[in-house]
Amino acid sequence: MSLQAAVGGFHLETLAYPINLLAAVVFFLLLLLLHFFRRKFAALRWLSSYQAAISSISSLALLTLVMGLVKQLPGYMHEGDAWPGFAQMLSNWAFAFLFVWFIAVLGMTVFLRLFSAQWKDIPFVLNHLGLLIALTGAVLGSADIQQLEMNTLVGRPQWMATNERGDVLELPLAIELHEFSIEEYPPKLMLIDNETGDMLPKGKPDHFLVEDSAAVGKLLDWDVAVITKLPMAAGVPTGDTLKYVEFHSVGATMALYIRVSHRKTDETHEGWVSCGNYMFPYKAMRLNEKVSLVMPEPEPKRFYSDVTVYTESGKTIREVIEVNKPVQVDGWKIYQLGYDESKGRWSDVSVFQLVRDPWLPVVYTGILMMIAGALALFVFQKRKEGVHDKLD
Amino acid sequence: MISWTDFWLFALPAFCCWLAGAWFAWRGNRIAKACGFTLAGLLIFAAFIIGLWVSLERPPMRTMGETRLWYSFFLPLVGLMTYLRWRYKWILSFSTVLALVFIGVNLLKPDIHNKTLMPALQSPWFVPHVIVYMFAYAMLGAATVMALYLLLRKNKRPAAMEMDMCDNLVQIGFSFMTLGLLSGALWAKEAWGHYWSWDPKETWAAITWFCYLSYIHYRLHRKTSYSIALIMLLISFLLLQMAWYGINYLPSAQGVSVHTYSM
Repeated sequence: MSLQAAVGGFHLETLAYPINLLAAVVFFLLLLLLHFFRRKFAALRWLSSYQAAISSISSLALLTLVMGLVKQLPGYMHEGDAWPGFAQMLSNWAFAFLFVWFIAVLGMTVFLRLFSAQWKDIPFVLNHLGLLIALTGAVLGSADIQQLEMNTLVGRPQWMATNERGDVLELPLAIELHEFSIEEYPPKLMLIDNETGDMLPKGKPDHFLVEDSAAVGKLLDWDVAVITKLPMAAGVPTGDTLKYVEFHSVGATMALYIRVSHRKTDETHEGWVSCGNYMFPYKAMRLNEKVSLVMPEPEPKRFYSDVTVYTESGKTIREVIEVNKPVQVDGWKIYQLGYDESKGRWSDVSVFQLVRDPWLPVVYTGILMMIAGALALFVFQKRKEGVHDKLD
Repeated sequence: MISWTDFWLFALPAFCCWLAGAWFAWRGNRIAKACGFTLAGLLIFAAFIIGLWVSLERPPMRTMGETRLWYSFFLPLVGLMTYLRWRYKWILSFSTVLALVFIGVNLLKPDIHNKTLMPALQSPWFVPHVIVYMFAYAMLGAATVMALYLLLRKNKRPAAMEMDMCDNLVQIGFSFMTLGLLSGALWAKEAWGHYWSWDPKETWAAITWFCYLSYIHYRLHRKTSYSIALIMLLISFLLLQMAWYGINYLPSAQGVSVHTYSM
């Protein structure tokens, strides 16, 4: 606590390459040294005991619990005074010390088992060594991770990107956006309260997904029938109202001509409803003093960018980048992040996230070992007795 | 097209089958009938899940109501597996009651038939990630029920075999939870650019994982202090509720989680 107050938080960024590699080598050599002296000192033997394991796991659980209860701020922001040290748990010295302690206990346990390994120890080694490798790689590698954001405009190669602090960096690769596309879900119709604007029923809004051009549906006590569906429409003012006509060009919006009737009162309305966009205004249908029918903007189903990536090493790669389908080039992973939401499906801007994580193979080795270990734990679970007796 | 309004048409017969299965198990010596009825109930319930999947045109795993659906499916399944393995007369009754709770919540708080699935969830990782987690939760739920039963049972200390059953349930549940956690990490790398971002859901998943890890090591260390171990199980399961849905209400997680998909 006093350390936290005296020098501020502990920042993992200080552990950039090659310091992180050096730290890992020194730390594990030290642990190995301690391992060979374990016969001499009871305290060293204690490090690979269940007591040490349980105390280190549960204290880590406790600090993580605090982290879960206190709203966390990103590391580069100034931490307020409300929760000194706890609103940035990852920079908390207590957390850092505890983590090193946990890794030490885990490391000593792994060494002990590795040096007397038998076939039946395989699940144990996979689980423990896997966790050790994954955690060490993740923590030491985090300073070497570069995570940048790049805004691209159709037809203009871009090689500048910004990091989370907002610094602009020049990259060894450029991205040229050829086309950005969105596939949208069919339009939805909903009821809103005229005064508050809340969607109805409040807290659990009902909706009618207009999938066909002649769809029929209901919303609360209203029957809704779609008469005309114009996926590409333009709004045209006529007198004191708006009507919609077909418009097959950039900036078109979705419009529906609908008939709505109340099931009990037989009150009927007919007219255009549209979600509008950056070019055309939206249009709602007022049903009575309390309720209006509206069309919210359609939700994106898929959005993707057709791009060419040029690298400094001379590669030219044409790819489609989509959410959940990043592209990997020269150690960089390129993710579809966003677009110009005010323009929606007519956006000519595509935002990418670029991530470089040189320690990823280390972490993935650990993760794959743990997956194998978890499967082994499940498959061989009957062999519970006897396996763990070696540790006193 | 099956929608949520048809839910009770499937849930009621499934529940009746599970009830019959539980009754035959309770009577003892009717193993075939107990298993047969439970299995029939599972098939009916699965039919609803598959029908909903087809009519939603996406996996029914996005909203809380949809995850409750899987949970009420996996509870009797886990109950059946435990029954087949250890022959506890009461386990099917418990899994049936627990399934009823989640069916009841779904009937009283009906979910919206919402077909949309945001791009972030459209991934081959989605289905295994959720199913593995729901199965783990059901296993750990069964372990919690066992722990409660052993703690509340008057004037009889748990037998070593009964503690073994807790251990086995936790071990299976924990290995599935680990698979869920790690598959989530691999998916996160593909979807969000990093395998671990300390998103509130991830933080609480880590807390829960550490807690069950403590339990497993504690059981290996102090083989005979049962009540502390059982209390650890209860606390772990309470924290698991936070990871599952509690964070939707937690002030510290408001507006920062990318894991909120239910309306």
